[in-house]
Amino acid sequence: MRVFGRLSQEQIVFGLAVLLTIGFALTLPGFLTANNLLNLVRSVSILGILGVAMGLVVIGRGIDLSLVALMAISVAWALQLAAGGYPLWLALALGLGFSLAVGMINGWLIAYVEIPAIFATLAMGAAIYGFGRYFMFSLDVLYMSDNARPLEALGQGSLFGVPAPIYLFAAVCLVTYLFLRYTAQGRYLRAVGDNLQTARITGAPVRPIIVLQYMISSLIGFVAGLVTAASVASMNTRVANSTMVYDVILVVVLGGIGLSGGRGGVRNVVVGTLLIGVLLNGMTIMDIQYTVQNVIKGVILLAAIVIDTLLNPRDEQTAQQGDI
Amino acid sequence: MTPILELRNGSKDYRGVYAVRDVSFDLRPGEVHALLGENGAGKSTLTKMLAGVVQPSAGEVWLDGAAVELATPADALARGVAMVYQETSLVPSLTVAQNLYLMDKKPFHRLRGAYIAGQQFLQSLNFHVDPTALVGALGAGQKQMVEIARAVHHNARVIIFDEPTATLTPEEKHQFFALVERLRKRGVSIVFISHALEEALQLSDRITVMRDGRHVVTDDTAAFDREKIVRAMVGRDLTDELYGAHRERRARPAGKAVLSVQNLSMGAAVRNTSFSVFAGQITGVFGLIGSGRTEAAKVVAGVMKRDFFHGGQVRLEGRPVRYRAPRPAVRDGIIYVTEDRKAEGFFETMSIAENIHLGAMAGGRTRSRLVSFREMREIAKEWTEALNVKAINADARVIELSGGNQQKVVVAKALVQKPKMVIFDEPTRGVDVGAIAEIHQFINRLADEGVAVMVISSYLPEVLHLSDRILVCRQGRIVEEFTGGEADEARIMYAAVH
Repeated sequence: MRVFGRLSQEQIVFGLAVLLTIGFALTLPGFLTANNLLNLVRSVSILGILGVAMGLVVIGRGIDLSLVALMAISVAWALQLAAGGYPLWLALALGLGFSLAVGMINGWLIAYVEIPAIFATLAMGAAIYGFGRYFMFSLDVLYMSDNARPLEALGQGSLFGVPAPIYLFAAVCLVTYLFLRYTAQGRYLRAVGDNLQTARITGAPVRPIIVLQYMISSLIGFVAGLVTAASVASMNTRVANSTMVYDVILVVVLGGIGLSGGRGGVRNVVVGTLLIGVLLNGMTIMDIQYTVQNVIKGVILLAAIVIDTLLNPRDEQTAQQGDI
Repeated sequence: MTPILELRNGSKDYRGVYAVRDVSFDLRPGEVHALLGENGAGKSTLTKMLAGVVQPSAGEVWLDGAAVELATPADALARGVAMVYQETSLVPSLTVAQNLYLMDKKPFHRLRGAYIAGQQFLQSLNFHVDPTALVGALGAGQKQMVEIARAVHHNARVIIFDEPTATLTPEEKHQFFALVERLRKRGVSIVFISHALEEALQLSDRITVMRDGRHVVTDDTAAFDREKIVRAMVGRDLTDELYGAHRERRARPAGKAVLSVQNLSMGAAVRNTSFSVFAGQITGVFGLIGSGRTEAAKVVAGVMKRDFFHGGQVRLEGRPVRYRAPRPAVRDGIIYVTEDRKAEGFFETMSIAENIHLGAMAGGRTRSRLVSFREMREIAKEWTEALNVKAINADARVIELSGGNQQKVVVAKALVQKPKMVIFDEPTRGVDVGAIAEIHQFINRLADEGVAVMVISSYLPEVLHLSDRILVCRQGRIVEEFTGGEADEARIMYAAVH
């Protein structure tokens, strides 16, 4: 990366996002229309909120592959409950409770049973999707009932001409930023991601912090789910089987949060979101086939992970080889 | 005589910190060459360059009078250069014979054939090791035999031993010496790193001494004696300054017992051991590698992960405690300062200030649950000054510091938690001479302030110099106790090995 002089990965990605936006604006006729921008902003916000959740976990040297499945199932269940006559607040509280409970189980499996995060959350994602589809509801798509209408404001409302999802994205970013920077738990989370063994010896509450990080990611995921449902007045649970979770990882890694943990922050998620959001939107307007889009995204993800591994070797020992 | 293996003006630096600087080294055919130097002198790095484990940042490796590039250990082995490590590089879940033939370029092995061939081969070397035994079940000495046998099997003409005798019992040592003789007769050239000067004098043909990454002297063994080696190893008369034989101060009297351990056991590492540590005193623990000293300390401080409780009792100021994680121990005031700084000492993505502040926070020594950056700066200033950490400023990342300054940060991160008792495990490993003196001074000051201090070290002069009381550990238990006055090197060593 010497070519770029002293630019950080974050700055490079931001620059690329700006260039891409200008490029699309000049070449794609449909890109700058009000309708498309609204669409772009909405999808970017959802991707960004999920990115913050994933970013937080990755900073803690974990990964949450159940993020999207959990968001789909817990929000769909809340909608189902609301449609079944529950008051909206209770339905939402139950959905959120379910989401937090699953996050806690994830964290428990990873921190106490010591299963690698990637397997624990992969299995959990599949399990809750199946559980939701079999036990909670039989339809793919859950529509908003009338008593859930107030939620629509989250997705379709706007204040001073700025759509509501942007405010939510900003709020999630701000709260997470403050959490990471100013709370003891945030500091511990970064410490655990940097070096779990050191954090343990230093006396940080390592296991509770790991559980907390998966619960927070479930919480933020639930918020993202609400915005998703509110935007289109329904929740399509098949999103759990889509490549969305990989888009989220793409955002995180591309933004410069190293998979080796301990590095990066909310700002990295924001720039990653900008680049991927604009890219996805542009490809859709250009009418590139879904499968071809997947090829492009997959290649970018692989490239980003390779560059990440080169920039942040996962293990200092292997990078430096031994003692003096 | 052309040297068989040579390093010409070799240097190796890690992020600008030189481990080895402009060193030339040569090995003659059929000789035994001892490589001596203090911890951190660059011996391991030098041999790793010769064995293709690390690449020199500058300089060349010459083999049989021609420059070669040894890209990997396998590459070196193919050319007849093998390295036998301190921590063995065998696969524990395979049998001895499987390990022996692991690197052969044959796609399939017949297991029975391997056992028969292994049996004959091991016998020809006069090694009493069962080829069908799992390597994981062998003792340290037998593992080393398998490593050596593997090197011989690969027709190694040069074998490099990294501290071959550190983990061996006296009997195994004699076998090892006999083996070196046999290898020499077969025409194998040998380099061995050692801390034991007598071994070097007894065994080698030539001796090279290194200090602070530089070459000091190479000469025939006959030209050396103990005094001369020590002078070459430490330069000036630093030994007297650092590890003065005649200690001016008297041993500190024991305060109240802070920690008392009764019949502690854990697997094969800690066997029914009992000891106490007193306030206002430094308790030195000496033992060879594998004697269970680190393990016992880790069990006490809750660092060791253990599935089963093997029995025994630990009392902190008379109150029975049993820590399953370090956090409650830290909160009660028992802190373990690790011997493995790189793996579990500090946070590499964080600055000096953030490292120390995190220690303060985890120890419950910050003013509030929220992070105050002003407080962080204050803490960092206080401790970098107290320990004389040399860095551009407190925002420098720890990974960029020298070994000595890294160690000071690790120590600061622990001491900011205001412990009642500190366990220092090899506090000066891989630390430069100047920093050693400073760290020792600081450990002394801690004891003067009334903290119970335990120092674990495998470097005898360090134990003798620091301790008011010395415990000797062997095969998982504390076998002997000396008070400062009555201890001398020979008696302690005798207790540690017999």
